[in-house]
Amino acid sequence: MRGALRAEWTKLRTVPSTWWLLSAVSALTWALGAVATGAVSADQCPSPQECHEDTVKLSLTGIWLGQAAVAAFGVLAMSSEYGTGTIQATLAAVPGRGRVLAAKAAVVTGAALAAGMLAVLGSLLAGRFILSGNGFSSASLSFFEGPVLRAAVGTVLYLGLIALLSLGVATVVRDTAGAITTVLGLLYALPALVELVGDEKWQERIREWAPASAGLAVQATKNLDSVPIGPWSGLAVLGAWAGAGLLAGAAVFKLRDA
Amino acid sequence: MTTPPTVTPYRSELPPARDGFPQLLHAEWTKLRTVRRWSLTLLACVVITVLVSLLSAYSGSSDVSGDRTPPPVGPHGGVVSDSFPFVHRPLTGDGSITARVSPLTGREERPAEPWAKAGVVIKESTKAGSPYAAVMITPGHGVRLQSGFTHDTAGGTVARDRPHWLRLTRSGEEFTAYESADGSSWEKVGTTRVNGLPETAQAGLFVATPEETMVQRQFGSNSVGGRPARVTAAFDHVTVDGGQGAWRQDTVGGGAGGGLRGPQDSSTEKSGTWTLTGSGNVAPYTPDVDITQQSLAGAQIGLIPLVALGVLFITAEYRRGMILTTLTASPRRGRVLVAKAVVLAGVSFVAGLVAAMLSFLLSEPELRDRMPNPLFHPDVALTDTPVLRAVVGTAVLLAAVAVLALALGAILRNTAVAVTLIVVALVLPLVLLSGLPIGTAHWVMKLTPLAGFAVQRTLPQYEHVDAVCLPENGCYPQGPWAGLSMLCLWAVALLAVAVWRLGRRDA
Repeated sequence: MRGALRAEWTKLRTVPSTWWLLSAVSALTWALGAVATGAVSADQCPSPQECHEDTVKLSLTGIWLGQAAVAAFGVLAMSSEYGTGTIQATLAAVPGRGRVLAAKAAVVTGAALAAGMLAVLGSLLAGRFILSGNGFSSASLSFFEGPVLRAAVGTVLYLGLIALLSLGVATVVRDTAGAITTVLGLLYALPALVELVGDEKWQERIREWAPASAGLAVQATKNLDSVPIGPWSGLAVLGAWAGAGLLAGAAVFKLRDA
Repeated sequence: MTTPPTVTPYRSELPPARDGFPQLLHAEWTKLRTVRRWSLTLLACVVITVLVSLLSAYSGSSDVSGDRTPPPVGPHGGVVSDSFPFVHRPLTGDGSITARVSPLTGREERPAEPWAKAGVVIKESTKAGSPYAAVMITPGHGVRLQSGFTHDTAGGTVARDRPHWLRLTRSGEEFTAYESADGSSWEKVGTTRVNGLPETAQAGLFVATPEETMVQRQFGSNSVGGRPARVTAAFDHVTVDGGQGAWRQDTVGGGAGGGLRGPQDSSTEKSGTWTLTGSGNVAPYTPDVDITQQSLAGAQIGLIPLVALGVLFITAEYRRGMILTTLTASPRRGRVLVAKAVVLAGVSFVAGLVAAMLSFLLSEPELRDRMPNPLFHPDVALTDTPVLRAVVGTAVLLAAVAVLALALGAILRNTAVAVTLIVVALVLPLVLLSGLPIGTAHWVMKLTPLAGFAVQRTLPQYEHVDAVCLPENGCYPQGPWAGLSMLCLWAVALLAVAVWRLGRRDA
């Protein structure tokens, strides 16, 4: 297993697109987060006491953009092997297919978590800086308070799960274009449907079951009653999506010729 | 001496092949047609578009209140708000009405809405929706001459603290409005024509105001509130030249314009001064929901497979090494890319047209039927100009998105990154725009390729009606054609960059 892990890590780290995509995760997250936090100001609140703005969630808005890079990263980790034909060398070197997939999943998730950590920490710091400039008290953004810590850790885990989901889908689909389209459809088209669907019951249903909107419920630190699904249970929904994707990938990977 | 043998170079017996642009188009069409997955992708674009449109139509709230009271319809055939306190007397034949109007005040001493109105009007009858011409003062937009709900002419400015004189004269079907600050030197505002007014019309005084809108927007929570506004104005020195009969106090309409009609519409007279208070409006009525646009909403999701197809149409050539053959067969590289764009745009246009027509025909009747009162929404057919513009525009939009994808694929040569960039740029705003401050949201909707979706909008916009343009209501800050041009500009500009890069780089 250690050999397989090392092999996967070497493959991953020697491809320049890995580093491009991982830096894009942070850059995109920070950029959108800065736009989002820069656009609000405490003047919009009815009064300082009534300011129910969820500043932590707001600072982490950038994840909506950053997750696209994580998805591309997760998909490419598998589909580029099929695209270039290295999958044959990989399977010749490590014939245990379960082991290949497990090693890949471990390495990809690790990289995504590391990139996510950087993205989340940076966003929270930038958000704190920008928001206090806009008149929000910085007290609400102390890092090690329960809900803030939950939002931060949960968001990092969210990115890890997105990477796993993408890897799973790519293992099933094998083709880069098909896999990335499927993953983006799950991540963006499903939440977008909420805006197009008129009925509130359907909107609620989609919010509860779509991987992105359920998973990002973990970012909520205020008004938890109005969130469609609880923070951890939302992340669990995404976990189920990722697990299902990976299991399907593993099953197909074992049963099918490469 | 031997004569050297003469060598005849090999000449093919076949006639030389032509390598014009039509041949190139044929080649690209063959490539597109013969990959079965790509045909399925096009089919997926159509199916997803129609399915999402159907979902948005059939998931709408079905608890219809059953209120089918027909709204007032103006002379132009559209639904109108026509509700105001009306103090009037009959005017037969030509004549004029003059009055001095005090500045307008709103509810509880607050300033009135910018488009609140007070002035003199000559109207067919007290029936809501009947034709009229009116000259009025407004707090925010000076003197206006309006007629038939949709016509509006601007006049001079009005002092905020002094009364203003207004006069409206009728001469057959022609109405001329005058204004004056002091009642002695008059200035012409304009002339308008009102068809179908009977010999005896009602000349009188009116006040009206649009409702107050309050918009609060924050990330994750926006609220848009509306409530009936109220406006009061006093009229004195009222004279009707050619008028006969006594003054009568009436209230026109009521219940129109979304049922916002205050019970406080009133008119009182005290020693020649009329004081009118009103809360209804005299304006064309624009529903919140654009049903045609909503019936085409599926295109925003259906474009995802099309983006994948557009990107693959060029990146697959690089991955399979096919690009070498392609460029050997046709060394003029720019033309290859243009041929690809033409074929792709044509195919996407046809698929988009099928998808848009099916979406409209299948979901529009259901959407209208599920509105709280369907009669407030125009009954449209596929052949109406705005609908046709929206449907054909949706097809053009999808074609432009496909070309955009092709161009970005050619520039980046990376399937995953190109697909991700375009899908995120076009779909993520749907999720996030409703939370952004309205100014930022409008910039995004004006300048990014997203602007193209403005072409799906069919509701008319009037300059003399203030509408809050919210992204979540599907409102785009610019007109249909301007929006579509922005998207096409993006596609053409990126294609130009792609052509330039293709010539500069090794394949």
